[in-house]
Amino acid sequence: MSDKYDDKRKMQVLVKERTDFLPFIRFKEAELAVAGQSVNRTDDPLKVTGKLRFGADYSQEGFLHGKILRSPHPHAIIKSIDTTKAEEVEGVVAVLTAKDLIGRNGFGAIIPDQPVICSDKVRFVGDGVALVAAETEQIAHKALALIEVDYEPLPAIFDPRDSLKEDAPKIHEKGNLLSYDKLRKGDVDSGFEQADVILERTYEVPFLEHAYMEPDMAMAIPEPDGTMLVEGPMQAPFTVRRNVAPVLGLPINRVRCRQIHMGGGFGGKEDSPIDLGCRAAVLAQHTGRPVRLALEREEVTIQTAKRHPMIMEVKIGAMKDGTLVAFQGVIYDEQGAYASLGPKIPPAGGSHIHSMVMMAGPYVIPNVKVDAYLCYTNHPYGGAMRGFGAPQVHIAHEQMMDELASELGISPLEIRRKNAFRLGSQTATGQVLDQSVGLRETLEACAKAFDWDRRSRETGYIDRERSKRRGVGIGMGWYRTSIGTSGDACGANVYVHEDGSVLLYTGITEMGQGAFTVLPQICAEELGVRLEDVRLVQPDTDLVPESGPTVGSRSTTLMGNAIIQAARQVKESLVEAAAKMLGVATEQVEFRNRKVFDRDNPTSSVEFKQVASRCMAAGKRLVGQGWWAPPTPSLDPETGQGNPYFVYTYSTHMAQVAVDTETGEVEVEYYVAAFDVGKAINPRALEGQIEGGVAMGLGYALMEKVVIREGVIQNTNLQNYLIPTALDVPDINPIILEVANELGPYGAKGIGEMPNIPATPAILNAICNACGGRVRSLPADPENVFWAIKEAGGPPNK
Amino acid sequence: MSRDISFTLNGQVVIVAVDPSTLLIDLLRDSFGLTGTKAGCREGECGACTVLVDGKAYNSCLMPAMKVQGREVTTIEGLQKPDGSLHPIQEAFMNAGAAQCGFCTPGMIMNTAALLRSNPNPDEHEIRKALSGVLCRCTGYRKIVEAVQIAAAAKQP
Repeated sequence: MSDKYDDKRKMQVLVKERTDFLPFIRFKEAELAVAGQSVNRTDDPLKVTGKLRFGADYSQEGFLHGKILRSPHPHAIIKSIDTTKAEEVEGVVAVLTAKDLIGRNGFGAIIPDQPVICSDKVRFVGDGVALVAAETEQIAHKALALIEVDYEPLPAIFDPRDSLKEDAPKIHEKGNLLSYDKLRKGDVDSGFEQADVILERTYEVPFLEHAYMEPDMAMAIPEPDGTMLVEGPMQAPFTVRRNVAPVLGLPINRVRCRQIHMGGGFGGKEDSPIDLGCRAAVLAQHTGRPVRLALEREEVTIQTAKRHPMIMEVKIGAMKDGTLVAFQGVIYDEQGAYASLGPKIPPAGGSHIHSMVMMAGPYVIPNVKVDAYLCYTNHPYGGAMRGFGAPQVHIAHEQMMDELASELGISPLEIRRKNAFRLGSQTATGQVLDQSVGLRETLEACAKAFDWDRRSRETGYIDRERSKRRGVGIGMGWYRTSIGTSGDACGANVYVHEDGSVLLYTGITEMGQGAFTVLPQICAEELGVRLEDVRLVQPDTDLVPESGPTVGSRSTTLMGNAIIQAARQVKESLVEAAAKMLGVATEQVEFRNRKVFDRDNPTSSVEFKQVASRCMAAGKRLVGQGWWAPPTPSLDPETGQGNPYFVYTYSTHMAQVAVDTETGEVEVEYYVAAFDVGKAINPRALEGQIEGGVAMGLGYALMEKVVIREGVIQNTNLQNYLIPTALDVPDINPIILEVANELGPYGAKGIGEMPNIPATPAILNAICNACGGRVRSLPADPENVFWAIKEAGGPPNK
Repeated sequence: MSRDISFTLNGQVVIVAVDPSTLLIDLLRDSFGLTGTKAGCREGECGACTVLVDGKAYNSCLMPAMKVQGREVTTIEGLQKPDGSLHPIQEAFMNAGAAQCGFCTPGMIMNTAALLRSNPNPDEHEIRKALSGVLCRCTGYRKIVEAVQIAAAAKQP
């Protein structure tokens, strides 16, 4: 059913140099030849022909098959384990328990607190207690079933608030509170005293599964010289390497990690490859043979990281006219059994501290207090999932803004206009947003394209039977570029050859987001060659410089800057040679479209390859290296004040939904999403990120939840863990605005995670507008919507 | 208890021994090395394993290999012309930007091929319905729908 006012989808790219709010931006944008263009992805021909090889497509010849025996109990002591029967099966080459490990029995993206093989206890259903390597997968399965483990079940904790109680059983020796973090700005008590209206609400969000289409796998190949090669889908080859090395008892330079193209990642493949990589490597080291460890879909759900569930208690105070004066938040952040990507990497890395920083939203609020508790439980663990703790808090603050607007009798648009960040605003951490702040522009552009004024008047019943009601909702948001750790940095190498062809080395990985296209675009632009002249080498820790993980929406910006630096280092030689060849000063030399020319007299030119060839013959350096780190982040551990992330992307979404008040079913009919991205390096690929992200946010709003009972996941496959299909996702109208980032390549900032974040609350707000039912415990599936309507006393009359 | 079956695979007649328990997806991927057909869930939900059997789309992860005896099977590898040039659907997916990670792409393309064979001029709802059996986590489906529209238009005289 499509909206009768359905406008033809349009993408608006507005290059902003001056607005009413901003001074003239200093960034000089020359006309770009390769960057800024919607070029086809470099790996498209392989994708559409089925020739692109994912990990599972590699030959299995000569490989042993690895399998993991997992605990059936959420919390238990391992009293004994007997592997004799399993070892006797023909075709079984190794059955390993903890005693067989020679290196560190622990892995983890931040804290290595997860056992490679559990020795004394298990902490969630999914914890590994033995590893098997066999000639075939069937034989490995057979062996798993013959391993005898004697468990003594322990009382288990399934709620983060329970894990904080005095008498709670200890999941880890050091206690169940993994991290307590606080933010103090101004004085919330006096803020609340001033307020005309105070609202208190609690919002709850469940575990979510990444549900990337490609299940996880890893291959470990022991090289004759004792080096271990670990290959597979992975977002963070360097993190995998720094875990595999101590687990094998090897120095870092004896482990090599090579990324194979990923069938989706979304943050899940930031740490699952550490798990599988360590375990495959241990089996490979023990047997001396290559080992392939691949997960079935059910195993992916049982074993790998999820989105953190949260219970968020929010208290907000505002004046009559909608001006916010005080915000108080308490977050119970459920970490699950192991630390993964939850805890703090100083000053502002890790998902928990990020949630705390983002809790109050993109609004100017003078008094803010947040207490955030990161708690272990006997559930699967929270890791990185697109948005990294920000989506959850947006669900809280965006719904709160709407509830406040309703209480005050102001429109959701007006209350956001009143309080939204602008250039020069101070955030809840006291950070002054001193550049690239396009939030208000996204609000106005979205409202205009969505036709908010008309659509917000045309809500209410839409059918004669008076069962379906239409509503509209806004979700506004912001998201950082960079990960807020002091070590956040990127290295790139660029090699130019005498025929004008280029090799590009970066450790940023491809998972469908388009890095393997966008990064060569930046390289080609800077060198003045064509996209097809640049070949990106598959990320391999033996070959590429330390780059950090492909996460946190950092890749285009941080690695883009490093690539530009690397290219400029090579250009030092090229410029010098070209200046001589053209007979001009070095300042006159320009590079574009394989030509090197005199800026003032463009017809006086030489070919790029001639210049390169001249440098090569003269022994001039054609190898460039770049290294880029953002401005040093800061965040005071006592007050939560500082500058945690150096720049933010901003976004406003508006959704129109139709709710069947009798069944609770929701259809998203019309959708507009506006973004300030600094600069779109590949607008069509950027649209792809927007459209896919909105679909993910829609899933969070309407249908996604990992259902767990007594620690056992009930919906381990895609039949019961529902993600949106082509019939669930409407036409999404993306709007791209460019308020340039002074510290980004051609002005760019991140986009990977921004799109799904405001989508969920936009839809939840639209549902409430449509039917009066406010769903504060997700998802807003038909049952929850139905009961929310009942709780509200039925749908509105109009 | 294996038995020889004979069927047409991407235009060529082949004979191969299979067990009753051999699934079509594994026969294609492991015995014929045609890894373009993907295993995403192995329970018929994700559609990444879609192949054409006598022109209709099937989840190869649910089909015993013995069932294709005497039939015509087409995988993503069989869509290109013998001279290597791309099928209009493949061209459309590239130009519309419809592939992100690429894992569902063969499944999407094969379902599109089946759709356009039976309904050469589908409207948007018919396209979405035909593709609702293939899950994509990356794209939000918008550009995939556009690609199908482009491919349908390209085949019009």
